[in-house]
Amino acid sequence: MYNTKDKILNASIRLFNEYGVASVRLQQIADETGISVGNLAYHYKNKEAILSSVYDRIFNEFSEILSKYLQNPSFLDFDVQVSAYFNFFEDYQFYISDLFSKEHAVPEIKLKWQQFMNKMILQINRRIDFYVSQGDLRPEPSKDTYLIVSEAMWMSIVFWIPQQTMRNKPISEKRYKEALWSHLKPYFTQKGNAQFSDVILPILVK
Amino acid sequence: MVVDPNFEIDSAAYNALLNRLNEVHSIDKQGDMSDFQIFSDDQWLTDAAVIDFLNYTKGEWAVELVFVCSENFQKFIVRRITSYTCPKKAALASSLMRRIAAKDQRGTIFVNTDGLLISNN
Repeated sequence: MYNTKDKILNASIRLFNEYGVASVRLQQIADETGISVGNLAYHYKNKEAILSSVYDRIFNEFSEILSKYLQNPSFLDFDVQVSAYFNFFEDYQFYISDLFSKEHAVPEIKLKWQQFMNKMILQINRRIDFYVSQGDLRPEPSKDTYLIVSEAMWMSIVFWIPQQTMRNKPISEKRYKEALWSHLKPYFTQKGNAQFSDVILPILVK
Repeated sequence: MVVDPNFEIDSAAYNALLNRLNEVHSIDKQGDMSDFQIFSDDQWLTDAAVIDFLNYTKGEWAVELVFVCSENFQKFIVRRITSYTCPKKAALASSLMRRIAAKDQRGTIFVNTDGLLISNN
């Protein structure tokens, strides 16, 4: 059972995804929610208030994804996290255009995102370290190779969906995951390869 | 779990945290049934040191006996025996009960509880 506040947020996210944050008006949000503008104004003073609530929700969800770090030592753990990333970035596609707009309605949000993104890269990098220590990945061939790989993986995680949308191509989780794993594949050891075909390939084939 | 979205962590600290998490899977091992030998082989009735312990709960002093495996002090069982409203009575009863329960009543079997690193975090 959703309350009105949640309904408003869900409708706003739908509209933001479709039209972009800047061009959505309060009237549209009210229509999409099925309430009057007066009622909307009772719950949220203005669009900034809605946006900041939407971002609260986004940050909450994102923190939860970040907390899914190495709950078990197999590749499956990363796969679970990647699925969560996919769902997240599919649900909140508007964030990209919103963040790249020159003047952001709520400047703290940009800062917050920066922190999250840095955490994400750091996490991917440490995860690679872990797989190296487990013998699934080869030791770093030269200095900072894995840092660059982590940055590339981060780019795939964040920008894969927008680039498919831009080229008007279908968005599928399978393809998203393949794109990500392909960054690590060249560095697999024999053990890593075996684990990949045992654990991850069956999921990707599905 | 409610995650505070405004919680911030310094990147160096976060890095250190992730490194520690990486080690968890190589250092920490899952226990097995041998850890329960103190129960299954009744070690707590044979080679265990007994420590009496008073626990103030719900307005009463509960007398608890702690049976600690003399070989590995990380294996122990706590048994609550009874409780008294008077702390002196409880202390007397607990010392008597300890002497009854201990295999060597003079108390020569003992464990060094300082060996336990207890973190109150």
